[in-house]
Amino acid sequence: MIPGRRIHWACAAIIILAMAGAAAAHHSFAVYDHSRTVTLKGKVTKWQWTNPHAYLDIDVRDASGAVKRYVLEGTSINMLQRVGWRSNMIKVGDEVKVEFAPLLTGEPAGLLLEVTFANGEKRELPVPAINTFKRTPEKD
Amino acid sequence: MYENITRWVFAAVLSSLALTQPMVLLWAGQSTNIPDISGSWERARDPSIPPQGQPPLKPQYVKEWQAKMQAIREAAARGEPYAERVVMCLPEGMPGMMAGPFPMEILQSKGQVTIIQEAYTQVRRILLDREQKPVDEVEPGFYGRSVGRWEKGVLVVDTVGIREDVLYQHAPHSKDMRIRERISLGADGLLRDEITIEDPAFLEKPWTFTFAYRRMADYQLLEYICEDNRQYSDDKGLQKIRIPGL
Repeated sequence: MIPGRRIHWACAAIIILAMAGAAAAHHSFAVYDHSRTVTLKGKVTKWQWTNPHAYLDIDVRDASGAVKRYVLEGTSINMLQRVGWRSNMIKVGDEVKVEFAPLLTGEPAGLLLEVTFANGEKRELPVPAINTFKRTPEKD
Repeated sequence: MYENITRWVFAAVLSSLALTQPMVLLWAGQSTNIPDISGSWERARDPSIPPQGQPPLKPQYVKEWQAKMQAIREAAARGEPYAERVVMCLPEGMPGMMAGPFPMEILQSKGQVTIIQEAYTQVRRILLDREQKPVDEVEPGFYGRSVGRWEKGVLVVDTVGIREDVLYQHAPHSKDMRIRERISLGADGLLRDEITIEDPAFLEKPWTFTFAYRRMADYQLLEYICEDNRQYSDDKGLQKIRIPGL
């Protein structure tokens, strides 16, 4: 992580947020890393369909078998519904693949950008100024 | 029998009048030049609107406001944003709700125009053709007391009684702040709300800005309850996220 790069992306985010106006300025996503994304597979332990934001908790098992829980923040469920999301698209126990912008503190959390559901369908979240998050290609 | 027929005819005439809103308003003895602004609206880009400037605060308040805005920008750039009031599930209030974070619905009924902002289910009631009360008689709140009247197709609104901690663009204001609005439907179909904030205690001159909205055909507002937000404000006022088990 290069500090200068982080500031660069944060500045870009601020400019775009300012341009996007009120809709984007509601809740800050500045706690998340705008310079990279992480893609993980895991089992859903909770799908919190609430405002102001939805939350998806998943358990991720690493190569050694250890399980780590990740907390992934989504957008408002109203924004999700307006682009076709429904609460029943994710259920506890589902195996999902997620792409998220990690929390800058390094804790196991992130801003959810895209989910691949158990049935293989992939959906992006309507994150305001989503193009300010630099996407890291998934590692095989 | 004859009496029954008369009653039915009367009811039929009344209900046909009720079908067309302008007719109802005409019937109510109000100006006929009232546009139908009922329905769902969302913020729209309008190149004719100049970009919103900073609040014209008096010199003694400008520095503090600029320092605050700078601190907010720097905190966000560091990845440690300050927790805005929405993190605590608090709505924007006036005039922030008119900035339309989410769609809004306008309802025109007899003696009242009601504006519902989907985010935080914010509701304001504009009482038509009523006198405004002195500021001190209005209990301070998020939306204040709004009275309005139609003037040549423009809804002219006056609002007082906004709590001093309900801020728009972080600009400080006094309890005497007055919000004047001119809400009009343009020939281009856009609804515009020209907002002028008057507050001689804090502002050098009135602060005017305009929001435009476009109609959302067949959109019904969704419910919005702010609950169990995992974002929170830490003891330094910074926005953090609650992670169970840590």
